[in-house]
Amino acid sequence: MKRKTGAPSVLGLLLIMLCCLWPLAGSAIENSECLDCHGDPDLTKESTDNILNTEITESLYVDEDRFNRSVHNINGITCVDCHSDIEELNYDEEVPHKKELKHVVCASCHEEAGQDFKDSVHMKMRTKGVTMTCYACHGYHYVRQMEGASVTERENSICLKCHNPYQFHQWLPARSSHFSNVECVVCHAPDVPRHINLKIYDLVSNSYYDSSRLSKVLGIDFDQLMRTVDKNGDDVIDPSEFDNLVLLLKQKNIHPVFHAELVADISSIAHHVNRGTAQKTCQKCHSANSPYFNSVQVVFTHDDGTVDSYKVDRAVLETYYVSHFYLLGGTRMKLMDRIGLLILIGSACVVGMHLTARILTIPLRKKNEEETS
Amino acid sequence: MSSKSIENGHHLHKGAATMAHEGMIYIHPAPVRVWHWINAVGFVLLILTGFQIRYAELLHLMPLGDAITLHNYIGFVVIADYFLWLVYYIGSGRIRIYIPDLRHVVTMAIKQAVYYGYGYFIGRPNPHKMTPDNKFNAMQQQAYLVIMLVLLPAQMVTGVLLWKIKGYGEYINLLGGIKVVDTIHVLLFFFFTAFLMIHCYLATLGHTPLAHFKAMFTGYEEEH
Repeated sequence: MKRKTGAPSVLGLLLIMLCCLWPLAGSAIENSECLDCHGDPDLTKESTDNILNTEITESLYVDEDRFNRSVHNINGITCVDCHSDIEELNYDEEVPHKKELKHVVCASCHEEAGQDFKDSVHMKMRTKGVTMTCYACHGYHYVRQMEGASVTERENSICLKCHNPYQFHQWLPARSSHFSNVECVVCHAPDVPRHINLKIYDLVSNSYYDSSRLSKVLGIDFDQLMRTVDKNGDDVIDPSEFDNLVLLLKQKNIHPVFHAELVADISSIAHHVNRGTAQKTCQKCHSANSPYFNSVQVVFTHDDGTVDSYKVDRAVLETYYVSHFYLLGGTRMKLMDRIGLLILIGSACVVGMHLTARILTIPLRKKNEEETS
Repeated sequence: MSSKSIENGHHLHKGAATMAHEGMIYIHPAPVRVWHWINAVGFVLLILTGFQIRYAELLHLMPLGDAITLHNYIGFVVIADYFLWLVYYIGSGRIRIYIPDLRHVVTMAIKQAVYYGYGYFIGRPNPHKMTPDNKFNAMQQQAYLVIMLVLLPAQMVTGVLLWKIKGYGEYINLLGGIKVVDTIHVLLFFFFTAFLMIHCYLATLGHTPLAHFKAMFTGYEEEH
């Protein structure tokens, strides 16, 4: 089992430690103090729109519930970890901190991502006078744990904010299917690690099963479920163990289908998007030995936004359990190939045997013809 | 078909044949020949592009994207061609040549199988005499009836669904998912490939190896 936190490992840990130690030093500003004011939906400030150069009213409201489910909060990042120029709050003032705060520099924690972003088309846009900030794509207070997110959620929250994929990709057969099942950066950031995310989908309620719903229906603890499924304890669910998982669900009257999507790993290299480098060779995906399907995992999102993923043997993609995902050539069933070969060899043998008998019996037919005439 | 109608057809035909080609019998009308050869070329191209699509890592006849595009276009040509066949055969009433006579079909099919497996080798005459109204032997009738009314439509429907898997997503789900639809399409693909192989071989079993091939161009079969 692999629990994803999405935090930049070392820096994240350091920050968490800092967060833990800070209260001991007596100088930390708690999130609750910030939210005393910023939790008010009516909190606004008058500002100037950078592009239109007009006066605008900007909301300063932060939705506490959404923030609490954000990847930053889950990893213990506090408001002042990012807004680090707020050192103390002075409640004697109308605004208890500086009115104009510095821009948050995401790359001060996400160093690697910052480096990869520098060598990307989105950074190079600056030469044309367009500046792309991190939060233009990712947002800021509500950055979600995306490991378990669907392709649609991933694309809607990032690429599709600016890009309309139907304006391009005329060369691509079955465009809608690609856009629905393959995340943009899988092709557009060719170096990014990829995997197939499998999710249990309930056709009756038209929704995915998350961990709490599954635990509730099955009546067992979620961790216990996966220990039950992975019988040999090798941390990989092979096809026979997958059979058991489906059987277990069916015993509880759940008749699931497994939805699969090809997504990119949540890693900094996903920023490495450049013009002309996108993967356009169909065979890279659409062939039986494609490395794109080496990593398969079943993912469950928990109520608190964290995600659990379990490795699954690639052969599971060839089964009928994953009946709503088929990648031409890439995840084809080898059984079909064997049946096909048998049909073709069988018919070739029939033809060959008949032809041989036909040639061998030529003298016999001639003799019979002569006798008849 | 009753033996009376066979005789009638044979008679009618003989008159026409005497006028046009001595010893020849007009079996394949022009619309059937047009349908047949478009279908034949279409099948060969669909099979080649089909193999390229499924086995992109083994075959390198053309880029996969081109193979898919070509496969789609040819697929629609074959579908249109199917409707030419359907309209012609239903419109002219000739569709009955595909309907086996249930009273005799089993006996006739056994006789035909015995001929292919034994009688042919020792020079016995074909138990089935081809006439315009009784073109197919009992084995052909059964095979073509299933192919034209069940298997080919199934291949066309699954092909169209696979052409736009997102657009036809709901129909695909009703059938059990894309893998089920693909399985049907692929199994029929192997069946039709095998069919083409056997069909071409059986076509060489005429009076001369090329006699039936020629007839499918001219429309006239030799009378024996």
